Amino acid sequence: MTNDAAPIGAERTQVAAAGGGDRPAAWGRFVAWRPYQLLSAVVFASPRRQFLMLALIPLIWVLTQHLGPMLQMLRVSLMDAYPVTVGQETHFTLANYVAFFEQSVFQRPFFRTLGYSAMLTLVTLIITYPVAYFLARHVKRHNQLALLLLLLIPFWTGEIVRTYAIMILLGNNGAVNIALQWLGLIERPIPFMYTGFSVSVGLIYLTALYMLLPLYSALEKLPRNITEAAADLGAGAWTRFWRITLPLSLEGVGSGCILVFLISTGYYGTPVLLGGPNSTVFAQTIAGFFHVAGDKWPTGAAFAVIMFVAALLLTGIFSRFISALRKGDSK
Amino acid sequence: MTRSHRVLLSVIFWAFVVYLFVPLVLMVVMGFKDSKFIGFPIRSWTLDWYLGVFADTDVIFTFSYSVAIAIISTLISIVMGTWLAVLLARDKFAGRAAVYALMILPALVPGIISAIAFRIYARQLGIEPGMFAIIWAHAVHNVPFVSLVVIARLSTLPKSMGEAARDLGADPFVTFMRITLPYLKPALIGAGIFCLLLSFDDFVRSFFLGGYDPTLPVLIFAMLRSGMSPEINAIATVALVLTAVLGVWAERSSRRMKKDSQ
Amino acid sequence: MTKLPLSRRKFLGTTAASAAVLASPAYLRPARAAGGEVNIWTYTDFVPEAFKDQFESETGIKVNIRLVDDQGKQFNLLAAEAPEPTVDIVTVAGHRFLQFIDSDLLAPLDAGRLTNWGAMNPIYSESDWSTINGNKWGAPILSGMEVLAYNNELVPEEDVKSWYTFFSDKYAGQTAYTIQDMLSIVMLMKGYDGNMVAYLDDPEKAAEIVAEARDFLIEKKPLVRKYYDSGAEVQQMFVNQDITMACAWNGPIAALMADGFPVSMTIPKEGSYGFVYTYNIANNAPNADNAYLFLDAILSSPEIGAEMTRASGFISTFNGADQHLTEAEKAASAFTEEELANLQFFRAEANELKYSLVDPAVEAIKAA
Repeated sequence: MTNDAAPIGAERTQVAAAGGGDRPAAWGRFVAWRPYQLLSAVVFASPRRQFLMLALIPLIWVLTQHLGPMLQMLRVSLMDAYPVTVGQETHFTLANYVAFFEQSVFQRPFFRTLGYSAMLTLVTLIITYPVAYFLARHVKRHNQLALLLLLLIPFWTGEIVRTYAIMILLGNNGAVNIALQWLGLIERPIPFMYTGFSVSVGLIYLTALYMLLPLYSALEKLPRNITEAAADLGAGAWTRFWRITLPLSLEGVGSGCILVFLISTGYYGTPVLLGGPNSTVFAQTIAGFFHVAGDKWPTGAAFAVIMFVAALLLTGIFSRFISALRKGDSK
Repeated sequence: MTRSHRVLLSVIFWAFVVYLFVPLVLMVVMGFKDSKFIGFPIRSWTLDWYLGVFADTDVIFTFSYSVAIAIISTLISIVMGTWLAVLLARDKFAGRAAVYALMILPALVPGIISAIAFRIYARQLGIEPGMFAIIWAHAVHNVPFVSLVVIARLSTLPKSMGEAARDLGADPFVTFMRITLPYLKPALIGAGIFCLLLSFDDFVRSFFLGGYDPTLPVLIFAMLRSGMSPEINAIATVALVLTAVLGVWAERSSRRMKKDSQ
Repeated sequence: MTKLPLSRRKFLGTTAASAAVLASPAYLRPARAAGGEVNIWTYTDFVPEAFKDQFESETGIKVNIRLVDDQGKQFNLLAAEAPEPTVDIVTVAGHRFLQFIDSDLLAPLDAGRLTNWGAMNPIYSESDWSTINGNKWGAPILSGMEVLAYNNELVPEEDVKSWYTFFSDKYAGQTAYTIQDMLSIVMLMKGYDGNMVAYLDDPEKAAEIVAEARDFLIEKKPLVRKYYDSGAEVQQMFVNQDITMACAWNGPIAALMADGFPVSMTIPKEGSYGFVYTYNIANNAPNADNAYLFLDAILSSPEIGAEMTRASGFISTFNGADQHLTEAEKAASAFTEEELANLQFFRAEANELKYSLVDPAVEAIKAA
C-alpha cells in the first residue's frame, strides 16, 4: 500500500532513475541477460507478436476454463433428462426455457431478485460511502491500514456461523430485544426476524466489503488539495461533494456496484436463513431444481442461463452508464 | 470541511464498526455457553468447547487444508486475473467485448450451478475430486473478481508512464513488471483479500469437488445437521483468530522482507 | 468431537501435534491402510467414532467418511460420479430410494451376506416399503417422523391434538414448517393419501387433491412465521422464541429436549409420516466386499444403535437399542401407542406422480 501513497510524479522519477538502488540493478542484470534478450527479441519483435504474447494464454484460459463449464451447463439446459442413466436416450428440447416464460410462479422470484439486488447495491453504496470517505480522508495515513484491517476481520467468519449470530441478535429472545426490554423501551419483543429488515442486516454484512474496498481505493487517491481549492472558491460542502468528490470517485462506485450486484444475484444461504415466507429469491428457485426435486437439472440449468444473461445485460448497461458519466464529467 | 461534518462522519464510521462486530462478539461469547445450542439465556459457562477445538486434530487439519486451498487458488487467480485485465484494458481489439463477457462468466453463475458444472467438467477432464479440484474451481471462480478490480485500477494508470519506459527501451514484459505491477499493488492486495475470502468461505464448490477431507465450511455444514452448537461457534472463533494471526504474520514478514531488501 | 475433559498436559501435547499438522503440507495426508478401505457418505454422528476406531483396528480396513448434509446434494453428487462412483456406502432416506434406483445409483442389497440382518426390528427391515423391484436396497439404521413440536410453557397440551391448530389465528406468526412436508400433512389432515399411492390410477384426482392442499396453504400463508429448510433452523427458532409451534422431524426436537429446553412433541390425531435412513451400497462400489463387512459390523450390537440415537436424536432400528439409553434419552424418543397408531411411512411408489404435482405446488406457495 505504501507505493500507492507516493504521488505519481515520484514514481516517474523512479523510472527515470532506473539503475540506482538494489532492485533496479537486479532488473538491469535480468534485462541484460543474453537468453532473455534473445527471447525478448523474438517474442516482442512486432506489435502483432506483442499482442499475441499478451492474449494467447488468457484466451486459452477463458475458453477452456470459463467457457467449458458453462457450455456444459448450456448443453444440460437443452436436454430433456439429466443425469443420463445407462441405456436412456435424451432429446434436444427448449421446454426448460419455455417453462420460465410461461409460468409467473418463476418470474416473480426472478424479478424480485433483480429488484432486491439493485436496491441492496444502492443501500450498500449509501451506507459504505461515508465509511470509506471517513477512512480515506479523515484518518491519518498510517492508521488507515490498521482500521481497514479492523473492518475486514468480521468478514472472515463463515457465512453460516455469522448468520446464526444475527439470528440470536434479532430473535424475539435475542440480544436486541432483551436489551430493549431491560431498558424499558418495549414490553413485548419486536419480531425483527424473517422480515426484509433481517435479510438486509445479513446481506449488507456480506456486500459491504465488496463496496468498501473499491470505494476506499478510489477516494484515497483523490488529491486533498482539490476539495480545499474548491472550498477556497466558496463552494459549500454539498456542492463540493456532488461536483468534485463523487464524480472523481465514480470509478470506485462503478466497480463496487458491479461487484455487489453480481454477487447479490447469486446469494442463497443468507436469504434462505433470514428471509420470511414472502422473500423467495431466484437462487432458491434454481437450487430447488437441484436439491429438493433433485432430478430436474435441465430446468435448473436453463433458469441459471436466464439469470446469467439478465445479470450480464444489466451489468453491461450499468458500466456503459458509468463510463458515460465519467466521460461527461471529464469534458 | 466543517467540524460537524467530521463528527457526523466519524459517528457513522464507528456505528458501522459496531454493526460489523456485534454478531462477531455474539459468536465468540456463545462458544462459552454450556449447552448444545446457542442463544439466550446463558445459564452456565464452560471452556470445554474451546479446549475441544484444540484437542481435535481433525479440526486443525481441516483449517490448514482450507487455508492452503485459499492461498494456492488465490495466487492462480491473481496471475490469470491480472493477465486478463491487462489484455482487456488495452485499446479496442476485435472480440474484446466477447473476451470481457467470458472473463466475467464464472462470477455470474449461481454457486450450485457452477459447482455442478465444474463437477461434470472435471470428470471430462479426468480431474479426481480432492484438493486439486477444489483449488482449480476456486481459482477459476475468483478470476473475474481480480480482473474487475485490476481493470478499474488500470483505467487510472497514466499512459505517459508506460510510454516513458518504452522510450527508455524497455520491452512490454519489463514495462509491465517495473511500471504497471507496482502501480497495481493496492488493487492486487484488495483482490487477493477478496479471493482468499471467497475461497475460505466457499461451501458449494468445495462440497461438490472435494474428496473425503472436508474444508472448514463443509465440516461446519455437516455439523450443523445436529444443531448450531457452541462447538461450531468455538471452531469458527478459533479459525478466525488463527487466520488473523496468519494475516498479521504475513503482513509483518513481507514488511521485514521489504526492509531487508532495501 | 464430544466434550472432552482435558488435562493440561494432554492439551499441550495436542497443541504441539496440531502445530505439526499445520506445518505439514495438506496433501501428505491421509495415509492409506493396508487392509483396503471403505468409503462412506453419511451425516455427522451416523457412524459412532468409537465403533469406527474399533472396526479399523480389527479389520485393518480404513473407514473414509465424507459428511453430507442433505439428500438432494448427495443424489447430485452420486449422479455426477456415476457410473464409476468413488463411494461404497451412501445414506438414503427410505422414501428417496426410488429416485436413486431409477437412476441406477444403488446396487441391490444381498441381505444373506449380512449375518446380523436379524438384529434389526423387522418393522423396519422387513416392511413393504423397503422392497422395490423384488430386491432389498438398504439396511435401515435410524428412523424418524414428522411431529408437531411445541413450546410446552407457551402452548397448552389440549391445543396440539390436531394439525388444524397450526392454522388457527391464535398462533398466527408463531408457526414454522417446510412447505413440502406440510403439503403431505395437509393432505393427510383432510383425509387423503399424502403418499398418492391410492391415486396412481387416477392422476386427475391426485391433481385435485394437491391443488386443494396448495390453495389451503396459500390461504394460510399470512399466519406462518417462516418456511424453514433445516433442523438447525427450527431448533434456533424455538430457542429464540420466534415460534411456539413447528412441524418438524423428531431428531432435531429430541436433541432440544435432551438439552433441557421446554419443548415437547406429539403426533396429532390425524396422524403423520415416518421415514427411515438406510445404509445403501452404491452401484459399482469400488470396495463392495468391505462395504458388506462394515454393514455387518455396525449392525452387530444394540449399543452402537443407542449411540447413534444419542448423537442424532432419531430412533434406532436395532432390537434392544433403547435399553442402552438413559431415561431422559428414552423420553425424548418415546411416543404413546395412540400416537403411533396413526403413523404411516412415506412411500416411494407414487413419487413420480406425487412430486410432479407437489414441486410446482411448492413453487406456487413460495411465490404467492
